[in-house]
Amino acid sequence: MAAVSTVVPGSPARARARNRRRPVRYHRSEVLWAAVFVLPAIALFAVVGVYVILYGFTLSFANWNGFTPKWTWVGLRNYADLLWRDPTYAPAVHTAALNTLWVMIAVPVLTVMISLPLAMLLNSVRRLRSLLRSVYFLPYVTSGIAVYFAWQYVLQPDGAINLLLGSAGLGSLQQPQGFLGNPDTALPTLIVITVWSGVPVAMMLYLAGLQSIDPTLIEAAQIDGAGPVRILRSVLWPLLRPITAIVGLLALRDSLQGFQTFLIMTNGGPGDHSNVLGLEVYRLAFLKLLAPTLGLSSALGWMLFLAALALAAVNVRVLRRAT
Amino acid sequence: MSVRSVAARAVVGLLLALYAAISLYPFLWMVSAAFKDQYEVVRGGHLIPHHPTVRTLAETWNELHFFDYFLNSLKVTGLTVLLVLVIYSMAGYAFAVLRFPGRRALYRLFIALLFVPSVTVLLPLVLLENKLGLLGGHWGLILPFVNGSAPLSVLLLTNAFETVPAELREAALMDGAGEARIFTRIYLPLSRPVLVTITLLTAIPTWNEYQLTRVSLNDPHGFTLPIALQNLQSGAVLHYNVLMAGALTVVVPVIVLFLAAQRYFVNGLMGAVKA
Repeated sequence: MAAVSTVVPGSPARARARNRRRPVRYHRSEVLWAAVFVLPAIALFAVVGVYVILYGFTLSFANWNGFTPKWTWVGLRNYADLLWRDPTYAPAVHTAALNTLWVMIAVPVLTVMISLPLAMLLNSVRRLRSLLRSVYFLPYVTSGIAVYFAWQYVLQPDGAINLLLGSAGLGSLQQPQGFLGNPDTALPTLIVITVWSGVPVAMMLYLAGLQSIDPTLIEAAQIDGAGPVRILRSVLWPLLRPITAIVGLLALRDSLQGFQTFLIMTNGGPGDHSNVLGLEVYRLAFLKLLAPTLGLSSALGWMLFLAALALAAVNVRVLRRAT
Repeated sequence: MSVRSVAARAVVGLLLALYAAISLYPFLWMVSAAFKDQYEVVRGGHLIPHHPTVRTLAETWNELHFFDYFLNSLKVTGLTVLLVLVIYSMAGYAFAVLRFPGRRALYRLFIALLFVPSVTVLLPLVLLENKLGLLGGHWGLILPFVNGSAPLSVLLLTNAFETVPAELREAALMDGAGEARIFTRIYLPLSRPVLVTITLLTAIPTWNEYQLTRVSLNDPHGFTLPIALQNLQSGAVLHYNVLMAGALTVVVPVIVLFLAAQRYFVNGLMGAVKA
């Protein structure tokens, strides 16, 4: 859904940079109108945005369980506890970080590997194209608890997927504990479902990219005797690189920050085998009852924020190079 | 047509159909279970119910109050979308059209918010709302949802308003029209596709929102559909036919909305990428 976010470095900012040198003369009435027009957005942001962000930042240096009247200031200890010092929290964070890393590698790669061929196939047919496009889009439109419950239903021990594997003669792939109950398959299963929800937007972006490519380029390559694989590798892939950059970075961002699927389907289990960093922040904040973990949660949240900022910086650079 | 190209087209068709099946897979089982009774659903295996019944769905709507939860969801999503459209189209107009000091910096600030992970602000948000007495009510959900869709909405609307020819505004100014009139009579009507796109991009995640809602709402009368669904699952005995009937109630409205608006939505998304 943040598909468009990554396009920021493109249009309006750059166009405006050109005019920057010229001193702008402001008109009084225009400035007043502007103040009126941006006021609601800024007022809301000041309360729900700025205050909240600063409050969370302060809390990351304190110890609190949410009920006692006073915070205990601990300086940077929360950060140290999470990273290496605390014998219970640090290992959990390490596991979650490693899992998050797996998600951040697997999800972008799989998303590109599925959505690009799918967009090419879809682009090559005329009949039923718009119907198929709508069908392919359903996983995005409905992504949320209802669909995750449906996945749980088909993935459970006597669910449809195990039955399907059995009747297809692939009984060895069946999971008697259910795909989410087995520590070895829980994380891969969640990755597949994340990719399943992410493919629609990626496919749509690739489709837009493919439709903007001049068809004579492909015809010329065909006349030169290039087969479909060669055309994909030497013509389409380089031309679509900006789209791939957007798709990849979008998937990276969602892998780093998203945790809804994990919260709903496994809550990190079994054990901590499918825990990710976003989920750990959430669990430290809301699921530890009386333990004083609110400061820890804020600290971990801020580390996640820093990682997201680093990603955003890379994001902008890669996009500049690609476009 | 040669044999080879017929074969190639068959393979293409087969692959496209295969992914359609993958996309539909959980929905098919959701529908299947929702129309089974509680005995048939545990005898699993078959997709088409042998004794299809609408009893489960009817019960979910009446005895389990899913109709009330549906109305709550409609209220939260509707108000969120309405506020997003009003607040950020105004801001977008200022960013795209009006000249004022600090315009670029403000615009960038709103876009930069995209990189704040929502989970980082979740806890302080809940604490703040608790202090303000907003926690537990629907406004405690709506306001942060609106603020959360700021970056994308500002980005799309500013881009859209920049493509409106400036001559239109100048002509209207000559005729004595004020900014409010120009905004509502010229800019908004010309940007309808983007407004539809934003409606969907806001409505879909708001309708499905779970993380904040789950830790905010305590009073069952105020529950939205995702939380009601969660409660079904954590109940004493888990009946998958009931759970899937509830899930169907959650997904059908968004699917209907998407099908109604998809033409604008697809073009809006693609336009945003090409821009």
